Amino acid sequence: MSKLKLASYWGAACGGCDVAILDIHEKIVDLSNAADIVFWPIAVDFKYSDLEAYEDGYIDVCLFHGAVRNSENEHIAKLLRQKSKVMVAFGSCAISGGIPGLANFKKKDDIFARAYFDSPSTQNKEKVLPVPVLQMPEGEIDIPEFYKDVKCLADVVDVEYYMPGCPPTSEQIWNVVLAIVTGQLPPAGSFVGCEDRALCNTCKRTKTDKKIKKFVRPHEIIVDPDLCLLEQGLVCMGPVTRAGCGNQCTGANTPCSGCYGPLSGVVDMGAKYISALASVVDADSPEEADKIISEVLDPAGTFYRYGLPGSLLRRAK
Amino acid sequence: MEKTSFEPKIIGFLCNWCSYGGADLAGVSRLQYPPNVRIVRVMCSGRVDPTFVFKALSDGADGVLVAG
Repeated sequence: MSKLKLASYWGAACGGCDVAILDIHEKIVDLSNAADIVFWPIAVDFKYSDLEAYEDGYIDVCLFHGAVRNSENEHIAKLLRQKSKVMVAFGSCAISGGIPGLANFKKKDDIFARAYFDSPSTQNKEKVLPVPVLQMPEGEIDIPEFYKDVKCLADVVDVEYYMPGCPPTSEQIWNVVLAIVTGQLPPAGSFVGCEDRALCNTCKRTKTDKKIKKFVRPHEIIVDPDLCLLEQGLVCMGPVTRAGCGNQCTGANTPCSGCYGPLSGVVDMGAKYISALASVVDADSPEEADKIISEVLDPAGTFYRYGLPGSLLRRAK
Repeated sequence: MEKTSFEPKIIGFLCNWCSYGGADLAGVSRLQYPPNVRIVRVMCSGRVDPTFVFKALSDGADGVLVAG
């Protein structure tokens, strides 16, 4: 049997998913015994032309991380789709837009104005903006086109599997790699490398009646290491977040930020969290409820931190 | 040219035991009211998930009424 062919690519991503893959440490040697890496820009020297030269379906599994921010991301996503038998949306960005997806709270013009005119470190007297195609005396030059909004991978190509996390933990990556190598992947369309229950189920903290009079940020209190973080007034996304990360944040006295995304069947994670918060606020009057809720800093950015493009809000209009 | 007036589409989530009962009574009493409100009966307004509101608005409703 010929060796498996693996590919990995980053769209609009920070590179953390690549680091998470490399964090399987010496097992990377076992991986290379079982599979050939045929495309992985951050770690292996293959060019786009090499990818184009492969036959269709040459790659067995492609781990695509990063959102689709520009035309280059979309072009390579489509190319990889054509060359790969199995496409995995790897990490929050590919699944639901992730941190880059928060840009959808602003319009493209606002983003350009901030990046190229207004930011304190920018000097741009001629008000030059990037243009996708430019005619120069030497000929035409082009750069990828910046889209008006950030998209998820599944918005541009078909995706077989979803592996959540920001980034997915190395333990889960190794589990999924083993499943790929031994041919034990679940039916297409499944979420892999995670559990189908909320993070609270795997959280060891003591949970009692949740009655919140005041929301706080982590630096404002000394966090009790044994008590539910939400009960202490911290905005912990645990109730609406998929488990599987090993409770790294809550284990370190830090509230869950929701990187593993919503549970199966949930259309909009932020709406579910609004519902969850509404049920734990202990207010005696509508005014008090308003006051308590107003203490949640940046609710949109917190509830949709990893999934704005994949939510019902999608983007600013 | 004919003047066009804005006719909002409003999705109303009404509690079976009070506001839906009220809407029903309005019908039985033959009271006329504009058809802009499209009613969805729920067994309790506590059943209304914020997702319903988001979904209604994103699918084109101009307003959402939760009564109960």
